[in-house]
Amino acid sequence: MNAAAADMPHRPWLGATKRLSALGPILALLALISIGSLLSDSFLSAGNLSNLLTRSAIVGIIAIGATYVITAGGLDLSVGSMSALIAGLVIMGMNAAGSSLGDSWLVVLIGIVLALALGVVAGTLNGILVVKGGIDAFIVTLGTMGIFRSVITWLSDGGSISLSSSLKGVARPLYYGSVAGVSYPLIAMIFLAVGAELVLRRARIGRHVTAIGSNPEVARYSAIRVHRVRILTYVFQGVCVALATMIYVPRLGAATPSTGLLWELEAIAAVIIGGTALKGGFGRIWGSIVGVLILGLIDNILNLTALASPYLNGAFQGIIIIIAVYLQKGRREV
Amino acid sequence: MEKRTFLKGGAIAIALGAVGMPKISLAAGGKTIGISIPAATHGWTGGLNFQTKRTVEQMKKAFPDIEFVVAAANDASKQVNDVEDLVARGIDALVILPFESEPLTEPVKQAKAQGVFITTVDRGLAEEGIEDLYVGGNNPQYGVIAGQYFKKKFPDGAKIVVMRGIPTTIDNVRIDAFKKELEGSKVQILDMQFANWNPDKGFEVMQDFLQKFDAIDGVWAGDDDAALGAMEAIKQANRPKPIVVLGGSGMNKVVKMVKDGGGAVDADIFYPPTLIIPAIELTTMRAATQAPIRGRYILDSPLITKDNAEEFYFPDSPY
Amino acid sequence: MSAFVELRDVAKTYGLNPVLEDLTLSVDRGEILALVGENGAGKSTLMRIVGGYVPPTAGTALIDEHPLPATVQEAEDAGIVLIHQEFCLAPDLTVGENIFIGREPRRHLLVDYPKIRRESRLLLDALGSSADPCAKLSSLPNTEWQMVEVAKAFARNPKLLLMDEPTAVLGAREVEALFRRMRQFVSEGGSVIFTSHRLDEVKAIASRVAVLRDGRIRHVGPASDLTEDEMATLMVGRELSQLYPAKSAMPAGDVVLSVEDLHSPPHVSGVSFRLRRGEILGIAGLVGSGRTEAFEALAGLRPAQCRNFTLANAASGRLPTAREAWAAGLAYLTEDRKGKGLLLDAGLDENVSLTVGALRGRAWINRAEERGRLDQAVREFDIRRSAPDAIARSLSGGNQQKVLIAKTLASRPDVAIFDEPTRGVDIGSKQQIYRVIAGLAAQGAACVVISSEMQEVIGLAHRVLVMRKGSVAGELTGNDINESTIVRLAMGLTKEAA
Repeated sequence: MNAAAADMPHRPWLGATKRLSALGPILALLALISIGSLLSDSFLSAGNLSNLLTRSAIVGIIAIGATYVITAGGLDLSVGSMSALIAGLVIMGMNAAGSSLGDSWLVVLIGIVLALALGVVAGTLNGILVVKGGIDAFIVTLGTMGIFRSVITWLSDGGSISLSSSLKGVARPLYYGSVAGVSYPLIAMIFLAVGAELVLRRARIGRHVTAIGSNPEVARYSAIRVHRVRILTYVFQGVCVALATMIYVPRLGAATPSTGLLWELEAIAAVIIGGTALKGGFGRIWGSIVGVLILGLIDNILNLTALASPYLNGAFQGIIIIIAVYLQKGRREV
Repeated sequence: MEKRTFLKGGAIAIALGAVGMPKISLAAGGKTIGISIPAATHGWTGGLNFQTKRTVEQMKKAFPDIEFVVAAANDASKQVNDVEDLVARGIDALVILPFESEPLTEPVKQAKAQGVFITTVDRGLAEEGIEDLYVGGNNPQYGVIAGQYFKKKFPDGAKIVVMRGIPTTIDNVRIDAFKKELEGSKVQILDMQFANWNPDKGFEVMQDFLQKFDAIDGVWAGDDDAALGAMEAIKQANRPKPIVVLGGSGMNKVVKMVKDGGGAVDADIFYPPTLIIPAIELTTMRAATQAPIRGRYILDSPLITKDNAEEFYFPDSPY
Repeated sequence: MSAFVELRDVAKTYGLNPVLEDLTLSVDRGEILALVGENGAGKSTLMRIVGGYVPPTAGTALIDEHPLPATVQEAEDAGIVLIHQEFCLAPDLTVGENIFIGREPRRHLLVDYPKIRRESRLLLDALGSSADPCAKLSSLPNTEWQMVEVAKAFARNPKLLLMDEPTAVLGAREVEALFRRMRQFVSEGGSVIFTSHRLDEVKAIASRVAVLRDGRIRHVGPASDLTEDEMATLMVGRELSQLYPAKSAMPAGDVVLSVEDLHSPPHVSGVSFRLRRGEILGIAGLVGSGRTEAFEALAGLRPAQCRNFTLANAASGRLPTAREAWAAGLAYLTEDRKGKGLLLDAGLDENVSLTVGALRGRAWINRAEERGRLDQAVREFDIRRSAPDAIARSLSGGNQQKVLIAKTLASRPDVAIFDEPTRGVDIGSKQQIYRVIAGLAAQGAACVVISSEMQEVIGLAHRVLVMRKGSVAGELTGNDINESTIVRLAMGLTKEAA
């Protein structure tokens, strides 16, 4: 160090603190895993871990998109409702396609394409309203959250929209299938996470996402296409929701008005637990995945053990979230 | 009087609207009936809204002079506002399925004081004597029937797991009755967890039960939505010995499984959102004819089996 | 009676890094002491120690014969108030609320707003500011913010004022008013320690000067004993050759940029000019005369219209968007380094390559190329960093500014607009920045230098536009470029006076 650092002496060499605080979510995860394995014999069984990871893939994939949105300084509260709506529309589409094409993989493929298209449309809608409309992201997505949720409730008459049972059999592997013991949803999440992390760190667009979240004015003064990039983060979020939905649909084969309820909060909590800055400007995908696993583990451990009254499950989640975020305090602003 | 709180999840209460109209009716027609129910946030309330809409349409056809106003609320405080708005609108009768008994007692009492005929559905109010008409289900019986089912199913004893609903009074009433019924029997409850009468949560809780216990003979999911989730988890686990699943509330999909037979589910407990139908019909009748309709109508929660399933099957209902 | 502030052998170390060493200094009542030194010399740290923000690592420090206050609260109670280099104001509160924040006068249980208004008015009047105490702070320009900051300090009835770069964002008139207030304050027995990079101001206001270099005091003495050049030499520790590079002859290259009748309400009304290759065009004028706004409008950064806009390489006629301007070779270096210029928490390589990458970079970032670009910038602009992977925030102001210049010039623009290129920069860095600008022009680029420091404009520019109230009040070339002419045009005076 030389004298150049002297004017900012209370910010010691940032690298070291960064590395230390990065361990926060990992420590919390390891702590939970050790608690789980101490309290329950079945916790570390392959079956339980597979269940847990596969389940977590749904919110995990959504959290990957949320990491982008939040890193760019945005917020998307509509993901849970969007997922329910996409699930409903895709099931209707697949049932219709199934009646003319029979129960073939083609129908599932149509479902996936339809889901992606719907995700792009919904994400673009959010993005354009936020960016071009100049309305606060919180308000826009609170609005679309209500809209999406109402439409699926209306479409389903408040009940459920079910995939025809024969198609259910065809689509079932999307959730239950596996390669070498690793389930498809988990594979999808891993690929998406690795890709998204790479793009966020190494690609131009990822840097622009971070720059915009860090300081949108600097980005604007640096020839970055601020509007386009911000809209793209919402579109990517929509795509992630669509993928998550295509994992969700074959699990129970139905969409109901309660599908995806509160997923937005789970995803946002996971992103923040993982160390992404809520105000934007710094994001890490792996952290969000760890965050999702932490949330999933808490539920799983409480179900597997009789640790405490189930009435207190929410309290445990709250405590873990606060601890995980506390552990990384001081990462940036002092 | 029964007390029930709103439940999000499964089958439970029914709501209904009531009729009112004790004031001097000016003309034969021109009566208005307000209906205040929980919004369709999950399967059972979805069915409730569907049945309400359907019944109101039928009643309109039969009694064109009577006007119906339906308000669906997401929570108790919104429902309080709804009731106040309906009264301000000059309704003659109110059919209400209260989210929660306590907060709605006072507003309904106010409505009553204005001469509105009150019908409460599924859940009573915190004070007796307000409602003119009560149409309800039988929650303790719901638990008892479930207990009897498992006792009969496993005379030689069994290990079962239980999914509770959303933590509410109504859930407590059912679960207490269920546990009491099993007392002294050979059926042993291994564990209970909240599954919120929700299929996704039912799936996850069942997965975890299956990891935790090597031997499970049966599961009472408490609700048909949760039961559907449990069935998927059981299918995935692929246990050599079949696990008996009992849900509850009479979702048409599940009733159909019972009717068709041969599957994992051979029974259901009737506690359907169709409760609202007689409540609306009776209240309308009262408004149209001034017939002396008053009192308490308790609908049983019988066990649905293959033999009587046809009677409880509503293929068009979304629930 | 002993000195009001007494520091003996004070040292401050952060980790293993000594920031101040063997510092002995005293300030009397009724005295204005100027602290001068390059960025990173330890001036701000010294201010923070006296202000109770950080304790010294060693040495004795007394104020009014008592130990230094341990907390900011104690310091303020003892009458010591520090005005930070950065604003510590709440933009969404009113001027009056900001001035009295934390010590609102009360009437019974309620805040006494009439009193806040009355007293704020008096405090602001004393500073020659006409800001409305009821106006929301965010509606005022930066200059007024600084006046509010100063008024806030005076509202605390200080005995000792610590002012870190109080004039950096002020124009000549505001500086005059501020100095009047400071003189009045010391004449009533107060003491002031202040820092400034403007050595002419130091000469004008300080009774004594302390020169800091590398954490040590190199000289203390009456301000009148030193010339500006001597101060600069002491600060840098070596002879400063000519501050400004020699001016080349008035270039006669092609016109690369021409603007007719530019309007950007409410700040800019009817600006026209032409710019030639190899030329350095100076833009002078008071703060608030629309200089920044006019050039931000040209760079596509604020809504504007003009009759004609012609830029070599760009579609002519309409004004470009920000990206189009960059792409066509028009680069704008913002005056707001921290707010609009640099990503403070990002690495230097990322900052330097941000714009050029956004313009011409491939989809995937080439780290090696970016490191290379940074290394080149480090050599070219003499950027001093604490570590190879240092973030921008950890650099001193002058070095941050050099990074910003490297970032702005990385896309090799034909037209480079430098808005306050040396704000908050020490004299050694200033000299380097001037060389960069002159070198760029010599290579054929057209440069615009907007500056509140008249000497800078005079020393660098071939031609000067003086702006007043949103339009060009006059154009000067050759020997007409001098202080009195610029001032007269800027103030709207027709005759030689004032």
